[in-house]
Amino acid sequence: MSPLALVQSAAGEANLTFARLQMAFTLGAHIVVACLGVGLPVLMLVAEGLALRTDDPVWRSLARRWAKAFAVLFAVGAVSGTVLSFELGLLWPEFMGTFGAVIGLPFTLEGFAFFMEAIFAGIYLYGWERLSPPAHWWCGVPVALSGLASAAFVVTANAWMNTPSGFTLGADGRVESAQPLAAMLSPAAWPQVLHMVVAAYAVTGFLVAAYYAMRVLRHGGRTYDRRALLLGFCLGAPAALVQPALGHWAGHMVAQTQPVKLAAMEGQFRSEARAPLRIGGWPDEERMHTPYALELTGGLSWMAHGDADATVQGLEEFPRADWPPVLIVHLAFQAMVAAGMALCALSLWGAVALIRRRRLPTARPFLLAAIASGPLAVLALEAGWVVTEVGRQPWIVQGVMRTRDAVTQASGLGVLFALTLALYAILFGGCAKVLELLADRPL
Amino acid sequence: MPYELVALGIMGLSLTLYALLGGADFGAGVWEFNSAFQTSDKERALLQRAVGPVWEANHVWLLFALVIAHTAFPLAFAAVSQALWLPLLLALGGIVFRGVGFVFRAYAVGAPRQQSVWGAVFALASTAAPFFFGAAVGALASGGLAIAPDGSYQGDFATGWVQPLGIFTAFFAVGVCAYLAAVYFAREAWIAGEDELLETWRRRALASGAAMGILAAVGLLFLSLEAPRLWARLAPGASPGGVLVVASAGAGLGSLIFLWRRAFTWATVAAASAVVAVMLGWMLAQYPYLVPPAITVEAAMGPPGTTRTAVFTALAGGVLLVPALGFLFYLFKSAPRADD
Repeated sequence: MSPLALVQSAAGEANLTFARLQMAFTLGAHIVVACLGVGLPVLMLVAEGLALRTDDPVWRSLARRWAKAFAVLFAVGAVSGTVLSFELGLLWPEFMGTFGAVIGLPFTLEGFAFFMEAIFAGIYLYGWERLSPPAHWWCGVPVALSGLASAAFVVTANAWMNTPSGFTLGADGRVESAQPLAAMLSPAAWPQVLHMVVAAYAVTGFLVAAYYAMRVLRHGGRTYDRRALLLGFCLGAPAALVQPALGHWAGHMVAQTQPVKLAAMEGQFRSEARAPLRIGGWPDEERMHTPYALELTGGLSWMAHGDADATVQGLEEFPRADWPPVLIVHLAFQAMVAAGMALCALSLWGAVALIRRRRLPTARPFLLAAIASGPLAVLALEAGWVVTEVGRQPWIVQGVMRTRDAVTQASGLGVLFALTLALYAILFGGCAKVLELLADRPL
Repeated sequence: MPYELVALGIMGLSLTLYALLGGADFGAGVWEFNSAFQTSDKERALLQRAVGPVWEANHVWLLFALVIAHTAFPLAFAAVSQALWLPLLLALGGIVFRGVGFVFRAYAVGAPRQQSVWGAVFALASTAAPFFFGAAVGALASGGLAIAPDGSYQGDFATGWVQPLGIFTAFFAVGVCAYLAAVYFAREAWIAGEDELLETWRRRALASGAAMGILAAVGLLFLSLEAPRLWARLAPGASPGGVLVVASAGAGLGSLIFLWRRAFTWATVAAASAVVAVMLGWMLAQYPYLVPPAITVEAAMGPPGTTRTAVFTALAGGVLLVPALGFLFYLFKSAPRADD
């Protein structure tokens, strides 16, 4: 390699690291507000619907206040989402230049969904006095539906990166032909979409439940806070309870289409029959084993292939250059599952009380658990994205294009990342302060 | 008609609507910047009422143009993303902080210090966004970016985008936003029956309209000296570019006359028409190039079939979108009825 090429490749490596950090951070920040943007309209509509039906001022003030919180969070979600749509081109020009047309369909559909969401959010948020109460409620319905739709569309684009399909490559590496619909409905699309939208409801439900559980604990059980806690719980708990099944489906898809990702998730270095399901463990890439794990013999074989005697491919079958960072992927996967299981336990606890006594437990341990559920849901969400994104490395498009080959040649990505951290701190700090003001101000 | 031309038309329409609607929302902030962040409560209430319900929908036009660009013209999209990465990042920063500045100020009621900070953020960011978009468009149109026909960028990532024409268009874009905002706000104040604000905005609209007329004339002179290729398309006698220049000037002048005669809805229509003519003139002047002089519309296209899908999806989506948008604007932008 010539000296110049060496310098360029070193600069390229630094660019790759910073571009990945930049993408991971801005996506990780957006995904939380995006989830709230999907879930909050549902809560807002339920509260407004109850207010319409019962004429109860408590429901009405909940609806009005959640609408304001939604307005703030929707704005943050819209701008942080805009950051991502710019970054696709600005950070990964080779990726978009090569595959932009192939995955254009879900992005176009997402554009329309976002359009409808923005239009009806404007009508809903500013139309309280201009529309009759039922008409106003109905104008909120498209907000909830299009939020759901845009999340679904954008996740299909991500699923395509995991299980690329619907195109053929020419000898020059350019796309020769493409079937956008087949690309949108790639194998991972359905499991990933359902896993994500259910996660969005879980995150919203538990964040709301956590906030109001804190207020119940602090101020005693005021009707307003108790009802808000109940609605949040009723959104989060069913989502948490169906999530393991959807997650299993998604994992099954990974086993079939991305065996190296599955091996990294499970810390499975050797190919073996009756592969164990590991709880915990600290993968060691050098020595190719995962110590400190509780191993359930045959568990992984059964989870991945429906047969406890089946052979699971280990990382050893793949060239090292195609391994994702095993430790990060394994730990993130474990964290996601653990947080998800904890949320299931809390959901069952609350559900049993609801069925037996027609109200949520008011005891301190339940409230403390409910407070923990918000951060736990966010942890599961972020960890899940780490699994799917870091687990796909070193590929930006699994098996087709390496992340390294997609990154921009522009300089200054390190500065950009530092600036982004500072600006997002201001943005999210400001958002938290405004939400805090809204929570306590009389309507 | 070939699908790539329809896609080009959809992208052009999205960008034009973004300039007309999103541009005016930026313009509101430009005026706050211009008045050194001093606004009265009444002024802010009018802003909230006028911009609050529509700004997010107006913003989506940009995202839509972006999506059509990477779907239908991936090669040009990748090239522009590299060559103009810095001004686009700066514009993005403007977009982000304009949005949150606007909303945080509106909802931080009861915390005046936070409100004034977010107000300043809103004003600065609203000015930055059109400035850098303008710089990017000027640099692109002038043909001065070192982009090869295969889409690779050979220029400097930090400074390559600074082009003489781009500096002019940066200021021109900020001016366009301010002018549109002033004309629209005059109408909004008239609808709201705010006589004092009506006079302020009418005065601002007249002044900025006149200033933009002069700036546009300077711009044409500048084009004739600096960008002969563009000028050849827009010079008097060139068809239809020359006609668009005359139409823009006529519509701009018309908006001033309508403002003077207090026909505010007509002034809005005329001002918007003047800007539409400018946008059309830009697109026409660089056609058939998406990235002059390296990449044509045809060369930028994605693989066969994808453009057609994009076009049909966009047209089908329009069936949902148009009535919804119509309802939004009917609800919040109708002129007052006699019985109000």
